[in-house]
Formats: sequence, C-alpha cells, structure tokens
Amino acid sequence: MTAPAAMRPAIANPWQSDVAVVRETVIEAPGVTTLRLSLADADRAASFSFRPGQFGMLYAPGVGEVPLGISDSCRADRTWSFTVRAVGNTTRALSALRMGDTLGLRGPFGSSWPLDLCDGYDVVLVAGGLGLPPLRPVILELVQRRRNYGRVTLIYGSRTPDTLIYTGQYDDWSNAQIDVQTTVDRADLNWTGNVGVVPLLLDRLHPLSPERTIVFICGPEVMMRYTVRSAVARGIPVERVWISTERNMQCAIGLCGHCQLGPEFICKDGPVFRYDRIAPWLAVGDL
Amino acid sequence: METEAVKTLLGGLAFMADLPEHALDECAAVTTVADFAAGTIIFDEGAVNPSLYVVIRGRVGLDMQVPGRGRVRVLSLGPGEMLAWSALLGGGTMTVSAVALRDTQAVALPGARLLEICGANHEAGFHVMQRMASALAQRLVATRLQLLDLFAEPAGAAPLGS
Amino acid sequence: MRPTDALERSNRWLAKEAFPTLFDRLIELGYAIVGPTIDQEAIVYDRINSVDELPRGWTDEQAPGKYRLKRRADDAWFGFNVGPQSWKKFLFPPHAIVATADRTANGWQMATPPDDPPKYAFLGVRACDLAAIGVQDRTFVDGPYVDPIYAARRREALIIAVNCTQAAATCFCTSMGTGPRATQGFDLALTELPTGFVVEIGSQRGAEIVDKLETQDVDPQQLEFAEAARQQAVDQITRQLDTDGIRDLLLGNLNHPRWDDVAARCLSCTNCTMVCPTCFCHSVKEVTDLQGDHVERHRQWDTCFNFDFSYMNGGIVRDQIRSRYRQWLTHKLASWIDQFGVSGCVGCGRCITWCPVGIDLTEEVAAIRETRA
Repeated sequence: MTAPAAMRPAIANPWQSDVAVVRETVIEAPGVTTLRLSLADADRAASFSFRPGQFGMLYAPGVGEVPLGISDSCRADRTWSFTVRAVGNTTRALSALRMGDTLGLRGPFGSSWPLDLCDGYDVVLVAGGLGLPPLRPVILELVQRRRNYGRVTLIYGSRTPDTLIYTGQYDDWSNAQIDVQTTVDRADLNWTGNVGVVPLLLDRLHPLSPERTIVFICGPEVMMRYTVRSAVARGIPVERVWISTERNMQCAIGLCGHCQLGPEFICKDGPVFRYDRIAPWLAVGDL
Repeated sequence: METEAVKTLLGGLAFMADLPEHALDECAAVTTVADFAAGTIIFDEGAVNPSLYVVIRGRVGLDMQVPGRGRVRVLSLGPGEMLAWSALLGGGTMTVSAVALRDTQAVALPGARLLEICGANHEAGFHVMQRMASALAQRLVATRLQLLDLFAEPAGAAPLGS
Repeated sequence: MRPTDALERSNRWLAKEAFPTLFDRLIELGYAIVGPTIDQEAIVYDRINSVDELPRGWTDEQAPGKYRLKRRADDAWFGFNVGPQSWKKFLFPPHAIVATADRTANGWQMATPPDDPPKYAFLGVRACDLAAIGVQDRTFVDGPYVDPIYAARRREALIIAVNCTQAAATCFCTSMGTGPRATQGFDLALTELPTGFVVEIGSQRGAEIVDKLETQDVDPQQLEFAEAARQQAVDQITRQLDTDGIRDLLLGNLNHPRWDDVAARCLSCTNCTMVCPTCFCHSVKEVTDLQGDHVERHRQWDTCFNFDFSYMNGGIVRDQIRSRYRQWLTHKLASWIDQFGVSGCVGCGRCITWCPVGIDLTEEVAAIRETRA
C-alpha cells in the first residue's frame, strides 16, 4: 500500500527557476552584453556552483528562456556572468535588463570541460565568435593553477575587430603566460592583427608538441570541424580534442526531446563532448 | 647574407623540405633575404612582381582594392607561409597588395628561375609544386570558411522567439 | 501476499454479473476511473463511472491508415485492441502548467502551481500499453531529473490490465516482446471469457481490491479457457518487426535511399507521435495576463515532426520531411535503446493505423534491412 500523498516528499520541480538579480551589465561589443547575476535566495546563492563548460537557462518571464554558457568564474561575491548576443526576442529582452532587475535562472546543466585531463599538458583553447564565453571560465581556471600546465594558448577569432570581446582582459591573460592570439574574418587597414579564419592559427602554431597537447574548441560547428581537422593534421590525437556543441535546448534536463543529436541529448550528455564521441553524428547531414 | 646562411634558412622552411640537395643549392644561389619594416608595401595589386616570398618572421597583410569599399584586408600571413604564388604560377601579376604589418623578414625566390629549376629537374619540380598545391589548398579551404561568414548574426528571428 | 512471479500469482474468478461492482468499489476507494469508451467513432480512454460506458459488444477493425468500429456477434466488454489514445494522456497530460512567475514590488517571484491530480484507476490497460508505461517511466522518473507531474500521477495510479483475446491487423507486440499477455507492472490483470473474468492478482493493492469483490475460486477449466483465449490473440498476429541488430542497422544506414522513399509519402502530419504511447517530446510556452504581471509556463505535447522542432540559431536543422521522419524512426527503434536501455516501440501498431497514408514502420525497417549498406 503506498503512503498517503500528504506524507510523500514533494518532488523538486526542475522547471521552476531561481530568482536572479542583475548586479552589473557590460557591453562587450555591438549587440553583445554580459550580465552579472546573483541569486536572490541566500541559501541558493551560497550553494550554487558550476564546472566550466556548463550552462544555465536564463528566463525572461513572459518572453522566454534561453541557454547560455556560464562565462566567468564564480566571484567571491557569489555572482555569475552570462554573455548574451541579442538576436531574438528573449536575448533582446535579457540584453535590455538593467542593474537591480530580476530574472529567472535554472542550472547549472550539462557536461563540463575536462580540466582534470590538462594537468601536465600544453593546452590550446580555440574559440570562435560567441564560443569564447563558455571557455572563459577555463582560461581563468588555468590562470589560477598556471604551474600545473605547460604552454597555454588561446586562439580566438571573431568577424571583425570591433566584435572581439573581453579585450580588456587579454593583457591579464598574457601576463599569466597565456599566449593570446586573435584573428578576424575581415578588417580595415587600421587592424594590423591576423586576418583569416581560426584554423589557420592552429596550422601556424609554433612551437607545438602534439603528443602532449590537449585542445578545447568552442564556436560555430563548421569552424569547430575544420579546427579539428587542423589539430589532427598537426598530429594531435583526436582523443585529446574536446568540443562544445549546440542544439535547440529547452528543458535542459533531457526530457523535452528537442536537443537530440543522434542518441545524445546535448543538454545532458553534452554540451561538451570528446570529439570522437560526437563526430559520427555531426558528420550526418540534417541529423 | 652569404649563400650558406641563405641555404640553411631556405632548407629550414617546410616549403623547401625534401628538396634534392643540388636543387636546394641552385635555389639558394638565386634567393635573397629581404627585410621589410612595419608599414612597408611589399608589392601592389596588379603590379608585376617576379619573386615568390616565404615569410621567415613577422606578419604580412594581403589587401584588395574594391571600388566603393576601398582597400579590404582579406588575409594575413605568418612565418612559414608563402606569398606571391602568382610569381611562380600566374605570370607574375599580383592578385593582392602585400603590406608588412610588423617588421618582417622573408626569403625571395625569383619565380622564373624557380620554374627553370623545376623544369630541368622534375624531382625538384614535383616537390615544389606539391608544396605549392598544398599551401593553395589550405588557403582555398580557409577562404571558403571566410566566405561562409560563420560569425555573422543569424538571419531572421526565431519562429517562437528565443 | 506477495505475488510477483506469474507462476506464483493467484487467480480469482469474477463472474460477469459481479463485474459492474468493480466500478462501485473503485469509486468508494476514491479512484477516478479511466477506461475505454466510444467517442467520435473510436474507442478512446476517458473518465468513466459505470460499466455502461464501456464499448460492450464493439470491436475495432484496423489496417494501415484505417480504423473502423464494428459490432461484435457477442457482448464482450473488452473485445477490441487499442485506439488513437494511450495512457500517456493521463500520466503525461497534453497540457500542463509547469511554473509561474509573478511581478511584485521586489521583482519576479517564481512558483510551482499546486498540482493535485486525481488518483487514477486505469481499467483496460493492454500489455503493449503496460510496457509503454514502463518505457515512459524510464524517461520521466528513472533518470537524473524527475518530472513531478508524471510522478505524482504515476505513483497513485492503479493499473487493471486486460489481456487481449484477439489481435488487430496492425498489432506486432510479439515482435517487441511486450505482449499480448500482461506479465508484470499491473495490480490486476483480467482475461475475459463469455461468463466472466479470470482475475490475476499482481500486487498487494490488487489483492485488496479483489478482497472487496465477490469472487470465487477459479477452476482449472476456466484457466484453460483463459489460456486459449489469450493464445487466440497470439495466433491472430500477422505483422512482424525483425528487431535483430536493429539499433546498428538503422544508425548505420542514415543515408539509405529508403529515407527519400518514405519522405515522398510522409505528410509530416504528426499523427504517429500523437498516438504513440511512448513519445515524450514537449515544448513550453509563455502565457501572460494583459499587464504581463502574471506569467504561466505552459507545457504541451510537441513532436519531432513539427517543422521548427529543431530550430537553432536562425535555421532549422531538420527542415526536410526526410530528416524528420528519419529522426522519429531512428529515435524510436534505435537511439532510444542507447538512451533508456529498451526500445521505444512496444508494437501497439497505432502509428500504422493512424498514419493517413498508411506508412508501416515494420515495412520501412524491412526495406532498409534488405538493401542495407
């Protein structure tokens, strides 16, 4: 005989958001804003933690919910950052939030970058466009424990020089012995940096010890595929290449079915995958 | 720079790897090493430039002139990369302007002379052309990726407003 | 009493005159009875209160793209198979409010709406649907995240299975190992004979219900007749699905020309996913009052056949019927196994019956198997 309903423990509702408060907004580039949030509930704020690569669902009530990679390490003041590009109704609503505004946050969700596999290795982080925010917590983690790693390189590409984000931090990262290399798809003559797609920088990377290098890649799918191609061509074993994938994520808990890529639920089996696990599914058109 | 030093420099380039010894000697004999201060225009689009370059250090920007848009930078090259392939394959008329974005050093090989060496020694010719094809293939793929404009904003709003 | 093994379970005999009292007892115990009943010329599952609402004397004639009700020669209460609805209609309601947000002076307040579902008694659960409930359990309650709406309804639900004594032309439960006999997961299982029911007790709860009914000891002849009746269902099954190596077969043939073939026939109408008892895809949309101060998050059934189901970043990944059909079939019969450890298909045949163009997934799989890569 099952116990009466009143005596059963309530099941947590995975659809209910925590209330978050905007503490700071930063315009990173035209149409790209970083929201720094704290959780309104003190207990939740104290216990919330995440691993680099995970994402949260940011909720603008009445408008919608979007997945966003957690894009900064947890600050001492228990705030977390999310960098958002305004492209649709919800992201536009989130981008318009001001200090003190409230919104919903669910999370953290998904798999994370395998930082534990980086100890003693050279680490190459490759980011394209809005692929940099989910990698920034990795950069900060590598900076924190810099002595544990060999050469650390960040390759970051964006469309144009004025769409590069987090530019104010590049010097901090360089000072922490991270080789920051940027490139753009197109530029005017004022730009004396690299021009050309991201994989070219991996093709050119010197020095490189492929047998002790691990690569994390995040960006548009085509960019990631060709970056992997370059990595493999340089002799980096494909088992040491990790990517962060994306699909239509709604529930973030593997129940709504939208984010499936083959048998994988991107929201809970991913978004971070070792490349060889997800490659067969990425290779099939319209899967 | 003396010939031995040039030969060492040349031999160290991936571009020249596996070249038969005597072919490398012949190339080294006609190769010069050029230094370009940052801002120097190495050659102009449309001009005839007889030399194929390989960058040793520095950075070179490739620009094209588009009426109404001005000068557009389409690519930058770094150490080990080949510049002015038209000097070898395209009759010497440049398809881009090249400008040193930093202090740059490059080896310069006269295209016509290189072609002669390849013609006289097919083994050497095979190696050189293989390197050229490989470099151009890589550049072709990179250009296609640029064409895809992968970082552009998504077109159209989400049907359900995400 | 702890009967779990089919061999150990006890059986009782419920005469047909006593059968109507089952309804009274269930209602007295506070159950909301859901059972088969006729609506719009189909046998659906709906709230019923008396035996008179059952489709007594009716049967269903099914074929690819065809469903008709026909009068039986006898007055069997359960002389049919399955219709367009399944028990997911009650466990995983097509529409539910999953969360709310209210604008206050201190900003948004988030809440979970109170959920007080009825205590259901599912009467007439076929073996295939029993298996389907088990499949949906793996999705909604066995994973790292539990759906509270499903869980609340599932834990209370009383399951009274009915063993099929005939098969529809579209049934293939035998291929999927899910029927036609109900073997586990039920509180009671009934096998109908002309004079009454053999009642198999499957749980403590079931035993307690039987205690409140007027039953007799079952005699060997009745058991024999019940066995023969169930065997009739087995014998009538004509459709087969070869599941040998099916996971690798389908996932290894994602560019097979058969996908183009079926795409030319499929209308992407979503019927199959609506009638399928294991499909679980859903979407959540925002519903607000006029001032935008009270927001409800409404969950509703979605389907991978919807055009923009796979929308992402300004484009739709599966924008062709070919890729959407392939997604549905490979998920149902192959990827599901990777995800949940069992097939997503229970062989109920609904997708075949309710497809307006009569696409038969057993045929599609056979075609791929025949000319596989």
